[in-house]
Amino acid sequence: MSDNALDEILEFHWMMDMLQTVDVGIVVLNRKFEVKVWNGFMEAHSGLLPSDTRDKSLFSLFPDISEAWFERKAKAVFELRTRAFVTWEQRPYLFKFRNFRPITGSEPFMYQNIALSALVSATGSVDHICMMVYDMTDAASAKKQLLALQVKQSEQESTTHKNK
Amino acid sequence: MISVLICDDSLVARKQVAKCLPQDWEVNVHFAKHGEEAIEALCEGKGQVLLLDLNMPVMDGYETLKAIQAQQLLTKTIVVSGDIQPEAKARVLALGAVDFIQKPVNSEELTAVLRKHNVLALAEDMPHEPEGLDENLRDCYQEVTNVAMGQAGDHLARIMNVFVKLPIPNVNLIEVSELHMMLSDIEQHEQTSGVCQGFLGDGISGEALCVLSDSSFGDVAKIMNIHENVDDEMQLEILMDVASILIGTCLSGLAKQLDMQFRQGHPMVLGQHQSVEELIKANKSHWRKTLAIELSYGLEGYNVQCDLLLLFTEDSLDMLNSKLAHLLED
Repeated sequence: MSDNALDEILEFHWMMDMLQTVDVGIVVLNRKFEVKVWNGFMEAHSGLLPSDTRDKSLFSLFPDISEAWFERKAKAVFELRTRAFVTWEQRPYLFKFRNFRPITGSEPFMYQNIALSALVSATGSVDHICMMVYDMTDAASAKKQLLALQVKQSEQESTTHKNK
Repeated sequence: MISVLICDDSLVARKQVAKCLPQDWEVNVHFAKHGEEAIEALCEGKGQVLLLDLNMPVMDGYETLKAIQAQQLLTKTIVVSGDIQPEAKARVLALGAVDFIQKPVNSEELTAVLRKHNVLALAEDMPHEPEGLDENLRDCYQEVTNVAMGQAGDHLARIMNVFVKLPIPNVNLIEVSELHMMLSDIEQHEQTSGVCQGFLGDGISGEALCVLSDSSFGDVAKIMNIHENVDDEMQLEILMDVASILIGTCLSGLAKQLDMQFRQGHPMVLGQHQSVEELIKANKSHWRKTLAIELSYGLEGYNVQCDLLLLFTEDSLDMLNSKLAHLLED
């Protein structure tokens, strides 16, 4: 029995370690939008320690995030338990983080996809939501390069037409 | 002997309701596929009790209730519907229904309601034999979607404070070319915008497509309490929000009935940077047929038209069918 309990604690420990090291930003917020979890990804990119963010309002930590806008997104997650999404095409980023490759990367900041999902508590109610932050910089810069190439090509075509 | 009339456009739903009637209740059970058939049957005296669905073609439940009132037909109507918005309940009660039961029906609840309204008082001790069930998968999908949509509508109604007009879902196996036509239609009409989102779980995978007509944006913004100017960026925002609510609630409604969970991918705006034609062409060799469930939502009092398309891959069908098998059992 005690062996089992020990196993469970050990398992919990490496699960937490996984949350810390996964290359996706994980933030847990309560209904007041106070930060409850701030994983390693968020810590590394923002420079804010979990102790700096714990129980602080997301909006006080990041005044650039529009409160009304974010609350509207989160309302459906809290009330309907559906997921809410923000894509980088819609908003390049929610948190202004530097590009993960500051030297060879072409973009100055990290493009992000954001997903919000409901966390159901043991009592069945939704008191917290989980925000996942994905680094989409490579996809975004590839798409931008492709678009730039297309524009360049069509420009070249139109100039050769003129020269003829 | 008491006669009970079950009116529902879905065969599965009719059978399911019949199955849930109290076992020891000796009654004549009659069926109607829509309101008109029901009124006809009531005029012939078939149906001292009417178990009535709301979403039906030809004549829906609300109109049927109005016709019963107008013609002063003697029947006790109990509405059995997947539309579980509080407003729907209030409306049918105002139209003379004695009670309201949420789909899918279970026998305890139906018995309790029948007892409450003294309908069971005339029960005799003879076993009731429900009729055999012929399998009709399409109907089954339609009914499951109906229930899921009712839940989705209820969620929408609660968060937006509006009455959602629930459509009859359209279920079809469609070919690549048909989907192609459908999508290029979206692309050609500049008045519409679309979002697609992949979902999968338990060996079932597919894609949801949400299309909003551009004229809807103003009203949707009003409903969602958005006071900012509705520019292109805002439209995209609204589209994303509406799509995630509709897709999310509908999928979770379906998943609940299938006793599973769907994972959703990140949504993509359709044809924003790539033409729809190219998107489909690239995938043409991967699949031939898809199961498509088409839903079109409207909001009462607003100029909002929104189409939701759930597309299931061909190889998901076996799994889907086996998960639905319990609904087709006797």
